[in-house]
Amino acid sequence: MIPSFIKKTFLIILVSYLDYKISYGLSKIYVILPLTFLAYTFFLYKSDYSVGPLESFITGLFVDLITNSYFGHNAILFCFASYLINTYSNTFKLFSYFQICIFFGASATAYIGFSQIILNLYNFSYLTLFLSGIFNIIFCVLVAILSVYFPSISTRKI
Amino acid sequence: MARNTPSPGQKVTYFIFIALGISILYIDINSKIFSSVKNNFQSFKISSSFVVKNISVNPLKKFIELMSSKQKLLDENTMLREKLDESYLRNFLITKENTFYTNHTEVVKAIKDDLVIESFHFAKLKQIDPNIFNCCDRHRIYIEILDKKNEIFKEAMVFNRNGIIGQVVGDGSQNEVILLTDVKSSIPIKNSRGDFFCNAKGSGKANLISCSYSQLVWIDEHKIGDSFYSSGLGGIYPKDIKLGELTSIEIINSSVTKLEIELVSSPLDTNFFGVIKI
Repeated sequence: MIPSFIKKTFLIILVSYLDYKISYGLSKIYVILPLTFLAYTFFLYKSDYSVGPLESFITGLFVDLITNSYFGHNAILFCFASYLINTYSNTFKLFSYFQICIFFGASATAYIGFSQIILNLYNFSYLTLFLSGIFNIIFCVLVAILSVYFPSISTRKI
Repeated sequence: MARNTPSPGQKVTYFIFIALGISILYIDINSKIFSSVKNNFQSFKISSSFVVKNISVNPLKKFIELMSSKQKLLDENTMLREKLDESYLRNFLITKENTFYTNHTEVVKAIKDDLVIESFHFAKLKQIDPNIFNCCDRHRIYIEILDKKNEIFKEAMVFNRNGIIGQVVGDGSQNEVILLTDVKSSIPIKNSRGDFFCNAKGSGKANLISCSYSQLVWIDEHKIGDSFYSSGLGGIYPKDIKLGELTSIEIINSSVTKLEIELVSSPLDTNFFGVIKI
């Protein structure tokens, strides 16, 4: 239990650090890649058990703390993502990988839109949103392809 | 394994947490209640990263810097030594300019125009076996001639800061040099008075060459410690370069006497040589 918690915390810190590092470079091409959110949704999707709202909420608050964002910003979105993924966890099995990729890409785009409305309303840009949507879907497809070629990565338990 | 979808009760819990999140978000945007928590966390982050950096990265960085500065000093030292060797070779050449160059007008012009004499090539020692040099007959070294442009250096003289070392016998990426002490080597020599000439051969011993002559032909007025010079005959070595001093006189028989001369220059003195074609 404790090693799993430490592992998750460490992974969240690592992914949010990567997110922070790549965001500046991607912002030059009007793209936002919410890596932390995508990683967490991927974890929710791959998890063997239903992640509860409390865990998602606390994880979101922790991400808010380490990314110096408004408290509640990631907490709400992580909770909502958890709710959606848990609700459709069995329905996902009927979908193709490509459809799932579109779902994750779209949810990441929704995250970006919501974040921009909360944090950065005056600079809200449809161009960024549109490009980020395409980029996120392509990114998810690439990750899915990667898991086909390197199954050891995708089957690894967190 | 199938996962359970949220039950109505769990959905309510989700709703409660999302509502709680919205409330916290609203409060955080409109007030500064959480600023102290955030500031404390930021200060903790900065101080902990500073501590971690001090413990892990900085000592490693210092160690690498120390190593690189040490290497830099070593490189600088090697470079300075090479420069010093170069200047020694130049000095040697300048002091012997009258004998080294057959075309004197070129030398005079170079000195007049304050030009550096570049008509010789620098060479680096590539291979020498000191054990063979100290014991056996075959005394050879391999040098790499710098800045050579398709020139053939066969029979070019090799010298160091003290004097003549030998001559180039092989061309290639590395040039083989036969030393004066090799038993197959031969150099025409003369005494300081200029009334005795002989072909000195390598003795196979370190720093020693020997010269056998007939007392019937040459007068016998040699003393231990006499200086011997290159005579310039043969066209490979220049004349009047001091080779060494007489260390032993051995009368072989009634007609043959053998002189042994200790050379002033040794190939072990330096790793830097000059190569010149007379």
